[in-house]
Amino acid sequence: MSHVNLVAFTILIGSFLAVTIIGFASARWRPAEDPMHLNEWGLGGRGFGTFVSWFLLGGDIYTAYTFVAVPALVYATGAAGFYALSYTIMVFPIVFIFGPRLWSVARARGYVSPGDFVRGRHGSQGLGLAVALTGILATMPYIALQLVGIESVLTAMGIGSSSGNALVRDVPLIIAFAVVAAYTYLAGLRAPALIAFVKDILIYLTVIVAILYIPGRLGGWGHIFNVASAHLKTVNPATGKPYGSLVVMPAGEWAFGSLALGSALALFVYPHAVTGVFAAKRRDVIRRNAAMLPAYSLVLGLIALFGYLARATPAVNAGIKADGGNPQLSVPLLFDSMFPSWFAGIADSAIVIGALVPAAVMSIAAANLFTRTIYKELISPNATPAQETRVARLASLLMKVGALGFALELDKTFSINLQLLGGVWILQTFPSVVIGLYTRWFHRAALIIGWATGMAYGTIEAYRTPGGGQAHFGASTAPVFGHITYIAVIALILNVAVSAVLTVVFRKTGLQDGYDETRPADYTADPVPARPTAAQATTPAAPSAR
Amino acid sequence: MAPLIPSGKRPATRAVVAVLLGVAIAGTLWVPIYARSGPKLGPVPFFYWYQLIWVPVTSVLCWVCYLLLQVRRGRHGAVRR
Repeated sequence: MSHVNLVAFTILIGSFLAVTIIGFASARWRPAEDPMHLNEWGLGGRGFGTFVSWFLLGGDIYTAYTFVAVPALVYATGAAGFYALSYTIMVFPIVFIFGPRLWSVARARGYVSPGDFVRGRHGSQGLGLAVALTGILATMPYIALQLVGIESVLTAMGIGSSSGNALVRDVPLIIAFAVVAAYTYLAGLRAPALIAFVKDILIYLTVIVAILYIPGRLGGWGHIFNVASAHLKTVNPATGKPYGSLVVMPAGEWAFGSLALGSALALFVYPHAVTGVFAAKRRDVIRRNAAMLPAYSLVLGLIALFGYLARATPAVNAGIKADGGNPQLSVPLLFDSMFPSWFAGIADSAIVIGALVPAAVMSIAAANLFTRTIYKELISPNATPAQETRVARLASLLMKVGALGFALELDKTFSINLQLLGGVWILQTFPSVVIGLYTRWFHRAALIIGWATGMAYGTIEAYRTPGGGQAHFGASTAPVFGHITYIAVIALILNVAVSAVLTVVFRKTGLQDGYDETRPADYTADPVPARPTAAQATTPAAPSAR
Repeated sequence: MAPLIPSGKRPATRAVVAVLLGVAIAGTLWVPIYARSGPKLGPVPFFYWYQLIWVPVTSVLCWVCYLLLQVRRGRHGAVRR
């Protein structure tokens, strides 16, 4: 690809600049009395109503990588890629059940991260540390993958990867990340909350236009499904099996269902999702959002179908072949070949800005984890709120630098493997965090050993799984008792089983358990925000007389 | 162990909420329901349009549950159920 699409590139630069201005300006949005408090920097003052939370959570959960990777999976394997739609459907009833309790206890006790909660609930620094380290470890490659999303847009535009010079190739990414790091440092969670508005408007616009405009140009949905079906039936010379299927086969149902369920449960304990939940102003905001956030799932479902649109576009197939068969390019190339260049620029901006919002929230979430569970617990127990905030800001910078290092230094497949592992790992914190919301029956030491078992099993099993031309980390599913199952779910079952058995053993032997600092009333608490700010009046969906 | 669905509401209400949320989750968790190509909606296989329709269904189910569990609050923050 020698040509650079100048019109599209100019529009991309323009929207990036607009978002940068918003990012820096957000520091003055809803000004706090004491900005140097982790509640302010790390949780936006815990004051987001239904409307802002909807944009923030939507902007945060549905990442740019999702918007690139899901259609890429559908492009390559067909129906199997739709587990992502299934999982984003079932995640909201799950949030509806667990979210309000987690929000209430965090509000009542001032927790800013899942690590804080686990430490307080189970009276165990070690368990809190395990949860925090798992969260940070799982988040870092996830941030790196946002860069992969940006990279695929730039590649499709003809910028970057075709250049042999490593510095020239990576400069756009480094600049973009430095700018995000700067306004996140300054404004904290307020920056992605405001930028999410831009991101989501661009995404909705792009998807609606694409789904109305492109199928007609390709000869209609009938033709599109026929082309996809014909391709998926073709035998892949590498495996000797068909590439995929248009509908999940009976043999693949178990894998599909367990991937969807495991991913939905994992999403709820990912630090960036928890941060979005904690930032809500009222308990009700979470339930209302569980009912309203599925609008994004509809968008995700349509984007997944883009994989088939791309398959039916000869120019996309040729472009992917030219780049060594990288299906990650299917959506950017689809935009490039179907839209006039000005609209391709808008669509590409949607993906790039869509990468910035989750990257910012993830780095803040990881910084909150580090600050409360590692810095305050282990390094400086007497830290003031201002010191905490300073540490968190620096930690967010470090997370970004680390993720950038990941993306630039390591092979792309390494980030993807790690993100796959990240899902397996983060689900191992589910017993301490979510089961912990309901019961203190489990012994703290049993939970730690159960966690370690799940982590070890999941990592080894993922390492042992070949697929997609790789000897290791080839797939996230493995056979168990004759069923192909998501590794994270098997590891979770093992984790809970070990925790349960050891709890009985430890109780019998009288091993001391931790002190639970929470009280039953904390889990249903719904305090009225103590400090009404002027900005509350501008939150449309939060009527004052509740 | 605390009840899965928040307390403060009559058991009947909580049971209805549990059933509705269970239906919402099972709707896509139970893959054999929709892993088929017919009946087609125009050219679109059942597998696809079922999942897309299940999105607003889940949304409505969650909203009904929200209304069922809503706690009204008086002027001074006193809870009325």
